[in-house]
Amino acid sequence: MNPTGKPEFVYVIYIRTTAEKLWHALTDPELNRQFWFGYAQECGWKAGSPWRMLKPDGSVADSGEVVEIDPPRRLVLSWRNEFRPELHAEGYSRMTWLIEPQGEMVRFTVIHEMDRPQSKFIEAVSQGWPQVLSSLKSLLETGESLRRWQPAA
Amino acid sequence: MSKLDAKATATRTIATTRIENGKPKFVYVIYIAAPIEKVWQALTDPKMTEQYWFGYRLKSDWKVGSHYVSEKDGVPPFDKGIVLECDPPRRLSYTWHPEHRDVLNEPHSRVTFELVPLENQVQLTIIHDEFETGSKVFERISGGWPRVLSSLKSLLETGHGLAPSWNDADKPWLRQAAGRCA
Repeated sequence: MNPTGKPEFVYVIYIRTTAEKLWHALTDPELNRQFWFGYAQECGWKAGSPWRMLKPDGSVADSGEVVEIDPPRRLVLSWRNEFRPELHAEGYSRMTWLIEPQGEMVRFTVIHEMDRPQSKFIEAVSQGWPQVLSSLKSLLETGESLRRWQPAA
Repeated sequence: MSKLDAKATATRTIATTRIENGKPKFVYVIYIAAPIEKVWQALTDPKMTEQYWFGYRLKSDWKVGSHYVSEKDGVPPFDKGIVLECDPPRRLSYTWHPEHRDVLNEPHSRVTFELVPLENQVQLTIIHDEFETGSKVFERISGGWPRVLSSLKSLLETGHGLAPSWNDADKPWLRQAAGRCA
């Protein structure tokens, strides 16, 4: 729990795969496009590397940099929205991936937090992550990702 | 609205859990590539729950006001609650009673499943609420539901639920529950 009351999204999902395969899916642009609805990350995956999330048309959706990296267990990114002005104005969030092997499966935790009292950005990613992570689990377990579903505006 | 009111009514997203008006609430959303009738069956058919809920068979006639029980080989069945709402295949809600000795003093909470059919998939939302502040049951279910729902998705998409990552020897409260019922 976050005792300070800062906006924070945490999601845990169990995937029948190995830590190495999950890490590969998370960091390979081609696999990204398959489960992330056409989006892909562009990054050198070293501490301090610039990080960008590209939309299907190649434009930049989000940007930041690698804060900590320990393949295939842990990644921390700074992450700022680059295409919605009201979200961009909130500045950088902090996103953490934790990968823990448990027998035949992996426990995958995503933590996304923002250092301000209220955050529309955290609300937005709270809608997005469950779809992306459900699609990722489907891809790794069945070979087929999910189709994106867009809620009515 | 005063500053204090704003603080009291703020919805805080913590984990897949939220604090609303000071009370903890667990919310988890998962998308499953299966027909909505299959997802409904997985929630209400003991032959299905056994395959993803780590061996537990959830049995009820699923009429509003009916009891349901949860049973597993080697663990006697215990009364786990009452069906509050049943609207197949969209909405199911039941009370959730603490069945383990260390939390028996806690009042019951409420579990609600909402199913929304989307193109070729189902959006399944689980809301577990009506907890008291500082509930131990709340901590336990917050860790438990992601395992159960991940296993449910695996079962419906691959034919195989996930194996529990623990065994019953690691769960002292299960032995206590068995002892209480024996």
